[in-house]
Amino acid sequence: MFKNWTNIFIYHIKNNKFFTVLNILGLSIGIAGLIFAILYWNDEHSYNEWIPENEKMFIVMNDLGEGNVWATNSAITAPILKSTTSYLENYCYFYTAYSKEIIQYNGKTELVEKIFSAQNSFFSFFPFEFKYGNAKNALSNPQSIVLSEETAYRLFKNENPVGKQVRYTEKTFTVHGVYRLNEKSAVMPNAITNEINEDLKRLKDHWGFNFGLILKLKNHRDAPLIVKNLNQIFLERNYKKQARNEGMTLDAFIKKFGEPIKAKVLPLKNSRLYKGNYPFPDGTGNLQFLQILMGLSALILVLSIVNYINLATANAIKRAKEVGVRKIIGATKSQIIAQFVFETFLITLFSCLLALVIVEISLPFYNQFLNKNLILLGSQFYVQLVLIFLLVIIVAGIFPAVYISNFKVLNVLKGNYSRSKSGIWIRNSMLVLQFAIATFFIIGSFIVYQQVNFMVQKELGFNGSQVLNIAFKEKNGKGQFERYKAIQQEMQKIKGVEAVSAGAFSIGESENSWAGLHYKNNPEVIIQQIGFDFGMLEMLDIKVIKGRALTDKLASDTISNVLLNEAAAKTLNEKNPLNKIIDWQGEKYRVVGVVNNFHYFGLESQISPMILFHINAQKWTQKEIRNISVKLSPKDMETTIAELKKFWSKKVDSEYPFEYNFVDKNFARTYKKYEDQRNLFGLLNVVVILIALFGLFALASFSMERRLREIAIRKTLGAETNILLKELSKQYVIFCIIGFVTGIIPAYLLLHKWLENFAFRIDIPALPFFIAFLSLLFLTLTIVLAKAYQVTKVDVLKYLKYE
Amino acid sequence: MITITKLSKVFRTEELETSALSEISLTINQGDFVSIMGPSGSGKSTLLNIIGLLDSASSGSYRLLEQEMVGLKEKQKSQARKENIGFVFQNFNLIDELSVFDNIELPLIYNNVPSAERKSRVNDIAKILGIAHRLKHFPQQLSGGQQQRVAVARALINNPKIILADEPTGNLDSRNGNEVMELLTDLHASGSTILMVTHSDYDASFSQKTIFMKDGAILSEKVNHRNVDVLVNSKY
Repeated sequence: MFKNWTNIFIYHIKNNKFFTVLNILGLSIGIAGLIFAILYWNDEHSYNEWIPENEKMFIVMNDLGEGNVWATNSAITAPILKSTTSYLENYCYFYTAYSKEIIQYNGKTELVEKIFSAQNSFFSFFPFEFKYGNAKNALSNPQSIVLSEETAYRLFKNENPVGKQVRYTEKTFTVHGVYRLNEKSAVMPNAITNEINEDLKRLKDHWGFNFGLILKLKNHRDAPLIVKNLNQIFLERNYKKQARNEGMTLDAFIKKFGEPIKAKVLPLKNSRLYKGNYPFPDGTGNLQFLQILMGLSALILVLSIVNYINLATANAIKRAKEVGVRKIIGATKSQIIAQFVFETFLITLFSCLLALVIVEISLPFYNQFLNKNLILLGSQFYVQLVLIFLLVIIVAGIFPAVYISNFKVLNVLKGNYSRSKSGIWIRNSMLVLQFAIATFFIIGSFIVYQQVNFMVQKELGFNGSQVLNIAFKEKNGKGQFERYKAIQQEMQKIKGVEAVSAGAFSIGESENSWAGLHYKNNPEVIIQQIGFDFGMLEMLDIKVIKGRALTDKLASDTISNVLLNEAAAKTLNEKNPLNKIIDWQGEKYRVVGVVNNFHYFGLESQISPMILFHINAQKWTQKEIRNISVKLSPKDMETTIAELKKFWSKKVDSEYPFEYNFVDKNFARTYKKYEDQRNLFGLLNVVVILIALFGLFALASFSMERRLREIAIRKTLGAETNILLKELSKQYVIFCIIGFVTGIIPAYLLLHKWLENFAFRIDIPALPFFIAFLSLLFLTLTIVLAKAYQVTKVDVLKYLKYE
Repeated sequence: MITITKLSKVFRTEELETSALSEISLTINQGDFVSIMGPSGSGKSTLLNIIGLLDSASSGSYRLLEQEMVGLKEKQKSQARKENIGFVFQNFNLIDELSVFDNIELPLIYNNVPSAERKSRVNDIAKILGIAHRLKHFPQQLSGGQQQRVAVARALINNPKIILADEPTGNLDSRNGNEVMELLTDLHASGSTILMVTHSDYDASFSQKTIFMKDGAILSEKVNHRNVDVLVNSKY
């Protein structure tokens, strides 16, 4: 039986080489797309899976209301929780950012990224395998450091480093172990210190939210109880205490300062794809991008399956006689179905193999694009592949097979079945579906392109194209501000340097600090704090639109005068915000000017209210100077940068390398992922259009070739070519229009949802819809007319004699 | 073997009703060779199709091997067809994409005959019908007579109880037509039951009995006493 099926299958392949190849190619591209998406999906879902008892681990976050969720915690809560409740097995505080520093050993200097700091309990949460030393006491002694295998190799080669001393941030640390990063985890540092302990000790009674916190419960069902307890602790130890100090009732205090902060716990297990602030410095996966990728590749697979079904049912007409004969001589319906499903099985098998080849070849590019290390391995993946395989067979195979098996034997054998109308509505609705999907892709990629373009060209409120931020690391014993002041003098002498300044902020990066602003009886406003030195705002071209800028001529400008941005000025609810006295950081400040709104984070977020003040007005901000900003003259930038580098390594920091970023490039990083999405969408668009056009071509060919005799008769009766062309293409234009109309609604809705990512976004314009329509129509006509023209050139006699 | 009583077939369209068969009664016994003649539209093909279980009757009774066929489900019909009936068509209805061997083998596949037995049976029947040397060819490579032989071979391979032939010589020239008629006569001589629709008096003269039909009814029946024509009967 299989031999018989295979023979006829091979016969048809041989006689339809072109369509078979395109069919397999289409299916394999569809399957390959889904494989890519699945690899990514599996990778993102494999995070933290390896950790034993991971279901008991929870990340603690704090909800300030109005969508503000902080991933950080006070040092106060966890110890109290541990001592007053019985739910907790363990907890671990950690820093929510990596640092990038020099680590020295024996005169060897290595710049190490992703240096993490956490309490000793860290390894009971993330039980990395230890190559040297052991996890139990790795971070319990003061000044301890553990290294990843890779970092250890860089510093020590193959030596066992346990007990050796390294220099790090100008202190001496003892190496207590070397761990391996075998599995994907929420945090994958290159080195871990216990520096955090000093901060925890110093801030043990402080309600500032500074640390990441992860808990391990005895029972995962206790999570709601933990939340209740955390809220209780905050209310008792913070709000009630403060209210007492202020001599207010709790209710009055809440009225003035807002609702108490609510704790929120996030299970570690699936936290990788959490959307929002996240304490671990490696960050979360891009859930939306993953969903888009899954969605789009599923659509492409649907498209290629639709193609397959279309071709199979169109082709079925050619095989009607075969099926009729088979039935007469005793084939049952299920045997016919089995035969055609078997053919689909073979086609799908080829397509799957080809898809694997495509994936294997293009995986390096894909990895580069996603910044990942995906491989074609893993039992999970193969199970999924088999599932896709079966799914494609079922969806693509059963349908045409049932359709074919339902042929009426008598009709078939009476002949002329080839001109039957049967199955046409199925093929036509499939064609409409293809047009709809193509419409969606064309409109989608166009709108994404426009939004990204909008972001690139958006007036940001600052100009950073000539401004260089140079990484400025702390040195022991000397204040950052004093060091900066000394450097500033010398740097300004370098040729090509227009200005030098510094600030406790960095546009386009995640560095930020916040505090409450009070004015009269207005509710508290959480305000972003921008400390800067004179010249900084001018350098970035941030304009003062009301009042005046801060100046070094007035002593009070470095003490009690501040600027607000427009957003903050608005919250005062005053017609003229100038010279109003505001309450901030427990002291009174006078507003002397208002600057225009400028973007700090990406265009996804609104511009927050900001307070801009001289760095001396709040001494703590002097420690936060992490960059020195330099404005370069546009001429000979390269030379100037080289000069700066020379100066820097000689006079400022001989160890830490000269690292710099242009402010505008830094900001551009905030929309990098959307540029990726644009590119992806664009690429898939091409694939989709190719597959859809191929489907259209195949279908048009089949249905026109069935009309050859009709065309021959019409020609004999004197039909002109252009009338025939019109006759033949009319229906496809109609399908194109129906498909377009079907496609625009989902396109509009989904793109609207996507645009909601952005606080600053384009309105959906009409242009992409026009362009999609015109290009679709143009492509349809090109394909259909080309085929129709070819058909009208047939040899009339041949088809009139036939039959 | 076949008993038909008051069998009618009515075609309905939106506007009109056409009666293709009206209350036909007919009996065919084991070993009969019956031919049906009549002008176009007389209902002879419809009758053959109903007997072949390709079409269903509107009313009346059709008993095949003592079993009522009218009102059977498609699946049961298909079962009865595959076990009992072999078809020979005017236009052969061979599958062009399969070789002669594969074509003949098909009914055996659908009757779940094991592969080795299939092979030997196909070879046997091909030998009997003189197409053994053509087994590897495709239908389009054969002459009309040879194609019809293949079709007959396919009809016979499953040892059907009755062979239905729908103008088996209609697409053949007289020489090939004769060949096929002789084949049918030989089959009859060896005990097969054959029902044949034809336009040709000459072909009908090979059968034992000819039924004349007109307007969906049987006009007359005639028993043929064939003079064996030595010239025609001699082998080429």
